[in-house]
Amino acid sequence: MRRPLLPALRRLLTHSVVQGAGPFALLVLLWTLVAALEIYPRNFFPGPLEVLRAFAGLVYKGVLPTYLQDSVTRLAVGAGVGVLVGIPLGLLIGLHPASYRFFWPLIIFFQAIGDIAWLPILLIWFGFTLTTMTFIIVYTVIFPMIFNAALGVRTVPMEMIRAAQSLGATRWRILGEVIIPGALPNIITGLRTGLGYGWRALIAAEIIVGTSGIGFMMFDARRSGSVVEMILGMIVLGVLWYLVDAGMLRPAERATIERWGLVRQAP
Amino acid sequence: MEGLVIRDLSKIYYGIYTGQDVAAIEDVSLEIGKGEFVAILGPSGCGKTTLLNMVAGFIPPTQGEILLNGRRIQGPGPDRGVVFQSFALFPWKTVMDNVAFGLKMRGVSKEERERVAREYVALVGLEGFEYRYPHELSGGMQQRVGVARVLANKPDLLLMDEPFASVDAQTRMTLQEELTRIWEDRQPTILFVTHDVEEAVFLANRVVVLSPRPGRVRETVEVSLRRPRTWQRLIEDLEYKGLVARVLGLVRTPVS
Ligand SMILES: Nc1ncnc2c1ncn2[C@@H]1O[C@H](COP(=O)(O)OP(=O)(O)OP(=O)(O)O)[C@@H](O)[C@H]1O
Ligand SMILES: [Mg+2]
Repeated sequence: MRRPLLPALRRLLTHSVVQGAGPFALLVLLWTLVAALEIYPRNFFPGPLEVLRAFAGLVYKGVLPTYLQDSVTRLAVGAGVGVLVGIPLGLLIGLHPASYRFFWPLIIFFQAIGDIAWLPILLIWFGFTLTTMTFIIVYTVIFPMIFNAALGVRTVPMEMIRAAQSLGATRWRILGEVIIPGALPNIITGLRTGLGYGWRALIAAEIIVGTSGIGFMMFDARRSGSVVEMILGMIVLGVLWYLVDAGMLRPAERATIERWGLVRQAP
Repeated sequence: MEGLVIRDLSKIYYGIYTGQDVAAIEDVSLEIGKGEFVAILGPSGCGKTTLLNMVAGFIPPTQGEILLNGRRIQGPGPDRGVVFQSFALFPWKTVMDNVAFGLKMRGVSKEERERVAREYVALVGLEGFEYRYPHELSGGMQQRVGVARVLANKPDLLLMDEPFASVDAQTRMTLQEELTRIWEDRQPTILFVTHDVEEAVFLANRVVVLSPRPGRVRETVEVSLRRPRTWQRLIEDLEYKGLVARVLGLVRTPVS
């Protein structure tokens, strides 16, 4: 009777959701343990249950869903603009020497200014508005995308471009059929880095500028001294980013650069 | 004239790091008629790739001119198909899509592309691998795709730069036999670059031996070995052995 159970158990243990949850289960266990020992006061270092209760409460009141939606929308808008502007600009710089000479110094100059350094002047110009936040996110997202797209262009082997040329491809066809797919490993890296930075910049912006959003919620919790809500905010940030990775970035990688053998498969 | 005419061709590279000029090819003149199979043979670094790249239109000559069917070569074009030593397949395209690439660029309909690509995939013996990606194939199979890809585009001239140099000896002999068979069937015009004497004699109707750098035409050897050629027959063939010995002598003796 024991034998048929084993494969089922193994299948359960190797299932991707279980495997993904495994490390977190360990983390939660550790956290529960430390909280239960009450080395620190409970409201100073709350356990998972308190956080879960706060989660339920905030969901019930509708605060968390609203804030979550605000944050995600801001990120999506920022990322969208970043992708639509950053990747084409990076490709242009990688492909067109005159554009490189024109844009490169400007890009390096503005990269140094950084997102937070823009905040003072943005608050004067646009106030505590969505425009300010969008600017910050786009600004952060765009640089890794430009650099990686430009680098990606240069990683496409010359012979591949020549092969396309002598098979009759025009410049535009070469861009679509050879350069962009060839640059994709770097473009995806740019996307991952850019979105990661953007996510962090968004939280920073919400803390300073915000009237809503996850960052705002966490900073607001400081006033009421609610450590539970701060931890909840942190967990939401992590989970959300994990979902973006597992739900969008990883599948995109698997379907393209891993399928084509441009990079080895992730374990 | 139909075919390829190379007149007084020279190429001097300027080394940006060394600040010195390097003459890679000097005063090369050559004619290849329609349907000929010519091998260019020379030691490493004598400018074979340089010559081929100029014919392909990838780099401009310093002096001289190249005419294909009477038209001067200005840049790369689909009238000259190139098979690269590194294969240069598109990793994001299946075997079928790689082979159909040239047709797609010419705006051939999807059904027609599919039909022609299938024909050429079969010609190089890759039935059953139509929907594989290049990284799922062995080196020999990848180069078969490389050959099918240019053949499907029906170029006036096939340029091959040591196409079989990066596969193992066994596979190389098979690929050489397959290329011979394709040439014997269809007589495409081929300019084949190699530093392998036996390969040159086995494949070509004419072997052009270049001197060490700067490459000049040292001698042209006619190869009138009977066709169809197979390794099994030629390996023991006295005429073949004699030609190999003669060409080898040309390659090895220093320039006087
Ligand atoms: N882009 C370049 N700039 C400067 N020198 C070059 C360049 N390309 C080739 N050369 C030089 O020109 C000479 C001929 O090079 P080429 O690649 O044509 O030789 P090859 O006969 O194809 O050699 P191999 O058999 O090793 O492939 C070499 O000495 C090389 O160093
Ligand atoms: Mg070479």
